[in-house]
Amino acid sequence: MSPLAILMSAFILSIVGLGFFIWSQRAHLTDPSTEGSEVIFAAGEIGTPEEPAAPLATRPAAGADDAELAARARADASTAPLVFFFYCCAFVWLLVASAAGLTASIKLHAPDWLTADAWLSFGRIRTVHLNAVAYGWAPMAGLGTALFVIPRLLKTELVGGRYALLGAALWNAALIAGLGSLAYGVSDGLEWLEIPWQIDLLFVAGGALIGLPLILTLRRRQVAHLYVSVWYMGCALFWFPVLFLVANVPGLHHGIEQATMNWWFGHNVLGLFYTPLALASIYYFLPKVIGRPIQSYNLSLLGFWGLAFFYGQVGGHHLIGGPVPGWMVTLSIVQSMMMILPVAAFTANQHLTLKGNLAALRHSPTLRFMCLGGLMYTASSVQGSFEALRSMNAVTHFTHYTVAHAHLGLYGFVSLVFFGAMYFVIPRITGRDWPWPRMISAHFWLASIGVAIYFVSLTIGGWLQGRAMLDESRGFMESVLLTLPYLKARSVGGAMMALGHVIFAAHFIRLLTARGASRRAQPASPFATAAEGI
Amino acid sequence: MNTPDVLPQQRRENPDPQERSTPMPRLVLLLALVLVAFGIDYISHADVNSPSAWGDARTRAELVGDRPAAGQGVDGAAIYAAMCSGCHQASGQGLPGVFPPLAGSEWVVGKASTAAAIVLHGVSGPIEVKGQPFNGTMPAFAASLGDAEIAAVLSHVRSQWGNSAAPIPAELVANTRSLHADRSTPFNGGDELAQLP
Ligand code: HEC
Ligand code: HEM
Ligand code: HEM
Repeated sequence: MSPLAILMSAFILSIVGLGFFIWSQRAHLTDPSTEGSEVIFAAGEIGTPEEPAAPLATRPAAGADDAELAARARADASTAPLVFFFYCCAFVWLLVASAAGLTASIKLHAPDWLTADAWLSFGRIRTVHLNAVAYGWAPMAGLGTALFVIPRLLKTELVGGRYALLGAALWNAALIAGLGSLAYGVSDGLEWLEIPWQIDLLFVAGGALIGLPLILTLRRRQVAHLYVSVWYMGCALFWFPVLFLVANVPGLHHGIEQATMNWWFGHNVLGLFYTPLALASIYYFLPKVIGRPIQSYNLSLLGFWGLAFFYGQVGGHHLIGGPVPGWMVTLSIVQSMMMILPVAAFTANQHLTLKGNLAALRHSPTLRFMCLGGLMYTASSVQGSFEALRSMNAVTHFTHYTVAHAHLGLYGFVSLVFFGAMYFVIPRITGRDWPWPRMISAHFWLASIGVAIYFVSLTIGGWLQGRAMLDESRGFMESVLLTLPYLKARSVGGAMMALGHVIFAAHFIRLLTARGASRRAQPASPFATAAEGI
Repeated sequence: MNTPDVLPQQRRENPDPQERSTPMPRLVLLLALVLVAFGIDYISHADVNSPSAWGDARTRAELVGDRPAAGQGVDGAAIYAAMCSGCHQASGQGLPGVFPPLAGSEWVVGKASTAAAIVLHGVSGPIEVKGQPFNGTMPAFAASLGDAEIAAVLSHVRSQWGNSAAPIPAELVANTRSLHADRSTPFNGGDELAQLP
């Protein structure tokens, strides 16, 4: 059989298999009428949007009965110290990463700045930035949120929180060692896998320990139906140690195979770790804040299984034009386009859930971050699908266009969603309300306008750069020089984002140190009610 | 099991979310069909048979590039810059009294086989170029340059600085090479060169 026939039959068979699988899931799970999926809601709870602006005293207790409230309080009490630790680390890495990113950005248009120290050179500080966001900020915020949400959705206490705490300690120790070695100039030399493999063992152990409580808690669950967020978060906790272990085994992958493995890992860590953590957060917090059920279980199924199925095969689109087998790149491009399907399912689900409830956006910063983040998920994914086509990739590969896409995804989508989640979770684990709601607005606008400037400027600059590089009649230097104004604009956007992060962190410190705001007492300040929606 | 106090933040929030089981929108199903059709079409047009070492989706024609008429795709100008310009200068004018000019030289635009012989085996001894006498040593290139390369550099020299003689094919250089196969010393000045067939 020709390679083409094998490729074609594999594609068709797998699509048919996926369709059948999703159908069987659906048929089976909705079999005993719809009761299965409604156990979480007590009678009379559906469809009462929270009125966040209502003064506390007059507010109904949101329809939840005492048993539900007690379960909620128990779940939160079992996770609070753990989640607090994760979030503190997330704040630190967010600030470290922003400083490193901004330094790298300025160096690209002011190359004579800070040239005395080797660790501040572009190659190292960029790598520090990438690793601080990829293994510091995003996983600490995402895993912290997952550990908060999972016991709530399983209506039980977290079991084995100590393992997760140990795991988080190992993880952060590994990251400190890893960033130190990168700054010192020791690296494995593969993008996204720069940290030396000896240190990686700690990440694998830490990741597995963080995942362990999930299994223990699942066995104690008090609900019959697993809400969609649990699928995403559970899988992310399982996928990460597997991916990271396989990718880092020393001496196993060589040459082209190593490059292929590198991007198999690179895209999977994006698609099967950060993305599901962030999607799960949207699935939880968005309906939570507006007080309506998610529109369609069927769409959730399609979104989840489509993502799980297609994402594993798209890594090849980072190697378009490279000396890798043609069938592999072709398959990755086709599956990149197929990704539009789960993305559309997610988008439709959110849109139909939100319809008619947009008023809540005015009051709830969490919802604002979540909605914008969700939109950016759709935008970055659809952009990515087209970026994977050979005709477009020939222009955009090796240019700043890719970096713009990377920040639309990891910042516009993942980071904004985690900001929103943290604004919701922190008052629940500390028992304190955010003292200055204005600062939440400032953070929101700085982050969203900042990333807009970042994205638009690099997208235009990257595209022009790619066109110039393909044009034989223009020298290479021309393609470099023409990006200068766009790189400067990126520094402006990046500085706004970084400022937003400083405000976010300062607000958090203020929340912890605020006088009079005790764990139990209800703060009666007018600001507290203004921040109600969270 | 003791229950911790319910925080005001916990009390004021909505219940945990769940999902309704409304059917899949038609539009999403339609989208699925369109995408699968795209996938089948894309795969059926894919080039999966080229050796992967060429780079994804690249054809032989792209890799070979345009073939110049003579010189078999070898860049004569580059060879001249690397091997000859040190003595004969980039301008082809040589250095008066030391290195003879190639621009306007009767040896360059003259008989092709003689020009090839000069580059193959070099010259040592008195030679007259454009009426000026020279007496130096021109190194041999038979060992360091192949036929196609010598053809390319001579074709280049014959078309530069106002010279306009026909390009030299690699076959002619190969013939000249076999004609003087036994030779191990440079030609003995202009006199011997003038007698070459
Ligand atoms: C080391 C310096 C040197 C290099 C390198 C050199 N030549 Fe010469 N070339 C000479 C000298 C000196 C003569 C004159 C020889 C003599 O006086 O007998 C000469 C003579 C010639 C002549 C005949 C006289 C004339 O001016 O037309 C030709 C043709 C020629 N060289 C071509 C080349 C080409 C083509 C190359 C490069 C592949 C080359 N030379 C490289 C030094 C050099
Ligand atoms: C504070 C604002 C930020 C600035 C100024 C900034 C700047 C930069 C710079 C200069 C690069 C290197 C690009 C290159 O190699 O050409 C980079 C890469 C990267 N940044 Fe940021 N960044 C910021 C925030 C973030 C955040 C919060 C995230 C996500 C969580 C993030 C994710 C990434 C990723 C994934 C890359 C690698 C891109 C690639 O390999 O193509 N950045 N960033
Ligand atoms: C359907 C979904 C998506 C597709 C098909 C896709 C496709 C692509 C493509 C084609 C590239 C450029 C490869 C290159 O030319 O080098 C890329 C890079 C990237 N994408 Fe996506 N993308 C998708 C979604 C996302 C999401 C949701 C995120 C964020 C979580 C993301 C983050 C990134 C990053 C960080 C890079 C840069 C990688 C690097 O070079 O270091 N993408 N993606």
